[in-house]
Amino acid sequence: MIRLRQVSKQFDGKRKVTALDGVELHVARGEMVSIVGPSGSGKSTLLNLIGGLDRPSTGNVFIDEEDLSGLPDDALTRVRRDKIGFIFQFFNLLPTLSCLENVSLPLHLRGWSRKKIDERARELLNLVGLGQRLDHLPEELSGGERQRVAIARALSIYPPILLADEPTGNLDTHTGAEILRLLHDLHDRLGATILIVTHDLSVAESCERKLSLCDGRIVGDERR
Amino acid sequence: MILLRLISWPYVRKHLLRSALTIAGIALGVTVFLGMHTANQSALYAFRQTVDRIAGATQLQVWAGEAGFPEEVLEKVQSVPDVRVAAPVIEAIVSTRLAGQGSLLVLGVDMTGDQSLRDYQVQGEQEDVIEDPLLFLAQPDSLIVTREFAARNGLAINSRVPLSTMEGEKQFTVRGLMRSGGLSSAFGGNLAVMDIYAAQQVFGRGRHFDRIDVAVREGVPVQQVQKAIEAAVGEGFQVEPPEGRVQQFDSVLRVYSLTLNICSLLALFIGMFIIYNSFSIAVAQRRSEIGILRALGASQGQIRALFLGESAVAGLLGSTIGVFSGLLLARAAVAQVSGMLEGIYGITQRAEAVALDPRLLAGSIAIGVVTSMLAAWIPARNAARVDPVQALQKGKYQVLSAGENRVRRTTAAVFLALAALALVFGRASWLLYAGYLLTIFSALLLAPTLALWLARLLRPALKWLRPVEGALAADSLIQSPRRTSATVAALMLSLAMVVGLGGLARASYQPIADWVNTALNPDLFVTSSETLADRTYRFPATMGPELEKIDGIAQVQAVRSGRIVFRGSPVMIVAIEAARVAQTVRPRVIAGDRERMYALTAAGQGVILSENMAELHRLSLGETIEIATPGGPLRLPVVGITRDFSDQQGSLLMDRSVFQRYWNDDSVNVFRVYLQPGVSSEVVKQRILERFSGERRLFVLLNQEVKSYILRLTDQWFGITYVQIAIAVLVAILGIVNTLTVSITDRRRELGVLRAVGAMRNQIRHTIWMEALSIGLIGVTLGLLLGAANLYYMLEMTRRDVSGMRFGYEFPGIVAALMLPAILGAAMISALWPAESAVRGSLVEALEYE
Amino acid sequence: MNKIAWLLQVVALLGAGLAAAQDPRQIMEEVQERAQAKSQRYEGTLQVIDRNGRTTEKRWEYDRLGSAGRSKAVLRFTAPAEVKGVALLVVNHPDRSSDQWMWTPALARDRRIALQDRSTRFFGTDFSFEDLEERDVDQFEFKLLGEEAIDGAACWRIESRPKQSKTSQYTRSVVWVRQDHYVFARLESYIADQVVRRLNYSQIENAQGIWSARRLEMTDLRRQSRTILRLEKLTYNLPLDEEAFTLQALRRLS
Repeated sequence: MIRLRQVSKQFDGKRKVTALDGVELHVARGEMVSIVGPSGSGKSTLLNLIGGLDRPSTGNVFIDEEDLSGLPDDALTRVRRDKIGFIFQFFNLLPTLSCLENVSLPLHLRGWSRKKIDERARELLNLVGLGQRLDHLPEELSGGERQRVAIARALSIYPPILLADEPTGNLDTHTGAEILRLLHDLHDRLGATILIVTHDLSVAESCERKLSLCDGRIVGDERR
Repeated sequence: MILLRLISWPYVRKHLLRSALTIAGIALGVTVFLGMHTANQSALYAFRQTVDRIAGATQLQVWAGEAGFPEEVLEKVQSVPDVRVAAPVIEAIVSTRLAGQGSLLVLGVDMTGDQSLRDYQVQGEQEDVIEDPLLFLAQPDSLIVTREFAARNGLAINSRVPLSTMEGEKQFTVRGLMRSGGLSSAFGGNLAVMDIYAAQQVFGRGRHFDRIDVAVREGVPVQQVQKAIEAAVGEGFQVEPPEGRVQQFDSVLRVYSLTLNICSLLALFIGMFIIYNSFSIAVAQRRSEIGILRALGASQGQIRALFLGESAVAGLLGSTIGVFSGLLLARAAVAQVSGMLEGIYGITQRAEAVALDPRLLAGSIAIGVVTSMLAAWIPARNAARVDPVQALQKGKYQVLSAGENRVRRTTAAVFLALAALALVFGRASWLLYAGYLLTIFSALLLAPTLALWLARLLRPALKWLRPVEGALAADSLIQSPRRTSATVAALMLSLAMVVGLGGLARASYQPIADWVNTALNPDLFVTSSETLADRTYRFPATMGPELEKIDGIAQVQAVRSGRIVFRGSPVMIVAIEAARVAQTVRPRVIAGDRERMYALTAAGQGVILSENMAELHRLSLGETIEIATPGGPLRLPVVGITRDFSDQQGSLLMDRSVFQRYWNDDSVNVFRVYLQPGVSSEVVKQRILERFSGERRLFVLLNQEVKSYILRLTDQWFGITYVQIAIAVLVAILGIVNTLTVSITDRRRELGVLRAVGAMRNQIRHTIWMEALSIGLIGVTLGLLLGAANLYYMLEMTRRDVSGMRFGYEFPGIVAALMLPAILGAAMISALWPAESAVRGSLVEALEYE
Repeated sequence: MNKIAWLLQVVALLGAGLAAAQDPRQIMEEVQERAQAKSQRYEGTLQVIDRNGRTTEKRWEYDRLGSAGRSKAVLRFTAPAEVKGVALLVVNHPDRSSDQWMWTPALARDRRIALQDRSTRFFGTDFSFEDLEERDVDQFEFKLLGEEAIDGAACWRIESRPKQSKTSQYTRSVVWVRQDHYVFARLESYIADQVVRRLNYSQIENAQGIWSARRLEMTDLRRQSRTILRLEKLTYNLPLDEEAFTLQALRRLS
């Protein structure tokens, strides 16, 4: 499903920073992987490269055996749109859109029919337990609820891959656990490949595979 | 200063485009202000300088409007005890027949007495000699020209110069050369001096002078002599210092200056909005920076000074650029302005060069800086009020508080109510202007609210069009009124002005065309100059019967017109053969009975006023008016008021017999010629030209030529509308680019999310474009609304105060319809660059933003 | 024009004066007295020579009826061709400045000449209008400065100052009066302390009992140019028709 070959990423600033250094990785379809490591170890960069938000300096990223590194911008977007769902630490909901509209967003971008979109969005919000709050604006929701909306949005097309960057990082412990349960539940029900970047050990431990990063290299790969 | 360099400069460098736009806003205002004023001033200045230089040591001038006065007045003036010199003058602008020389200002003077008034500098230097003063007087073909003019045309003493005269083209002989400087630089050096009695003949003045220049005896107060002369010559004369003529000129140009001022003030005002916008955005964006500064101990005053300093620097830069582009604009416009002044007012000047007025330049820069600082005042105050604690918290933008909005709306409502009251009860013109201002201000105050409502209205439509992109574009507008409202307001103002001016043009076009059709209906016009407005040359009355003898001509009507002063302001006297005119002309009557008014006028028992004259001087039917004439006061009742657009200051029709009696002048400016049925006007035109060829200088204009000439002038007049449209488009571009750049910066993360969840680049572009188009659409909508009000006020101002002409209200649908694509096009163009910058740039950074 | 008349009067001298007369005012009165005549006619030639030596010349015929303050005169130009026919009519008044009209045949009209500023040059010559005016002895104060010979003839040097300084462009004048015939030999006019114009009288001859200078040379010291006036065929007391000295006659003249 996801394969990284000798992937390195440098950031050009006044000082060159190497965020990833020759990473080799394979994630099989349906795996749920947590990625841990100290700040600046390259976790987020790894996730961004897999998600096609960024391009590696050297090396190749394959999604479904398709090499992302050579793709033009719009083709990359298409991959993102068809295969990847994102969940962000700060939710990144559009503040002006209602829950329903936020969830519909990726579907509209794909040009689905209004009716189909509406059905799917309601279905997803029901799935994350927000069926009653369709028309609320994000600012009217609690942190956990917002993250649920974000998850619903990420799931909108039932993407084969779900990428979550610190999904619980901005939530209290209780809500975090709730979200984690939701993710596991979705993993079980939908069979999606899920990658979670986290600081939270309980989150990490709950996944079947745990990658540890340090200074841009994978220093541990444990499976349970 | 340190703060400016440390804090402001990096920000400017980071937001180079926006800083450039801010500066462009000021530059735009200053460009239009300086450009139009300079073009205008160059024309006025040329005139003023000519008056000044020709005036020489003249302390008082005696004149009776353009009509001139009989020679005998000179002796009356000379006999006033404290008059040292009183010299008669005839001034005429003629076209030389020298290639590329255009017109020549000919000054007819009496050299025996005149040299103590004007330094002709014809003596002294070796070669600068007036050959022989006696010869100069003895030969009527004598001419003194300036050395520059002589040099340009390869002339020397005894060279021949061809000039158009009343008797056709004639050769003149250079009998003297004036040295450079002073007098000879008047009228751009195209100046010639002629004996006044020769000038009377050459220009068909009969035994009349145009004016008398007076110097008073040393040590005697000028005012005292002024009074003594006034008493000696009677009421029909103006006795004033030379500046008086310039003032008259100014007042003739009042309408023009007013329009110009409104336009350039508006440009400045709009520039102000752009600056205000930039600065409020900058303050919002730099809140945390301001917070840090405050936390580090910067005082409120220092923060305010920082932003005001920035605006001053921006103002200085912008006005400097504006000065240069303004001068370019002036250069392009000066010829047009000159031509228009000549065409409409019959005032010829030579304004080839742009007159650089250092005061105006300095003034423009000062205005630029002050405007900029004024516009930045509120943002700077807001910056100073930033609470450091709040500012340092992440992600909180200062939004317009609901309270502020309510205050605005209430104020606007109060203003509107006052404006309505002024409209209902106001007859006084200050009430009209107050109402106008109140309306504009309330529109400005309401603009954010209205823009918000409109954006909300637009949202469903946009969303329907493009569910994501549309909704997002509308939301961007709805969420940040601060970002858009200044741009919308600027657009609104500028479009309101377009509608106002365009509407005025449209409203006046039809009535003018009607008037042209009913009043200017002769088949041919025989004039002494190429244009109808020029009254330099005049025909002798005897030419009328001669014309009538020409085969194919049914009737000839002699018209004599000239500007005089009535109740302190210039009006046009038109002396007609009322009995004859009554048979051919059917003007739109405003008051009185058509048959009766012509009968009374023909009998010398009344005058007919143009509608605008009646309006401007608040005169009504039956009222008896008194006109001061060289032959004493003329008292006649107003027997009719008709629609007549001959003159912007108003015109007054009287019978020729009355004019002849009171002005002792039977010369003619124009013969209106009616043909027998079935005769070709082209053929008769040829006959007239042949009959008088070599004998008289004359022009025969076909009816169609005159009509299109007048309608062309009307168009030219409203050419200023096009400048305004150009401004509107520029404003749209500047404002929208500004708003959008800010919008995409503000929404970087949002756009990042969109892209992350699968938006294609085109979809992002569409959002930005739609946002731009929405701003344009909202601006146009509000602009047209305010424009409708603006047009009403402009029509009222025109009627009550400016030219007294009454035009019906007609919304300029075509102009409005044109503005929509123009502004939307401009909006689209403005959106291109910001849209590109929105799809470029790192997604990761966008998402990490904050 | 009355200036020329006056110049001629002052240069005309009748008989020998009393060399003993020492009162400057009496001398000046005698000068005026001796120039009296009923009428006068001459043909004049006027040469203006500028600082570069360029010369222009004009000729005219001059008739005068009466003398001193009550005269009338007609001056008709005869050369050069361009000014031929131009005529001037001068009517002098004892109590105010003269009336003057000019007839220009090419324009076929007469015009009044306004002599408002008397410092103006007279038709491009070195004379100013003031230089040509008749002055009444009463308007000046005289002072005898001494005696000096001009062209070998003994003269009184007399200073004259206008009683009212505003009436003249000059601060003062110095005149040399021949002791033999009571006729002017030289006149220098001052502005402040500087001589600005010098008029020399020469060829002083007896014409029908009136001693008259036949050649007058005016030098404008500021412009460095001079004007020479020669009087030919000078005749006094001939019968002239009063009718010839009117505007109507002037118009007919062309």
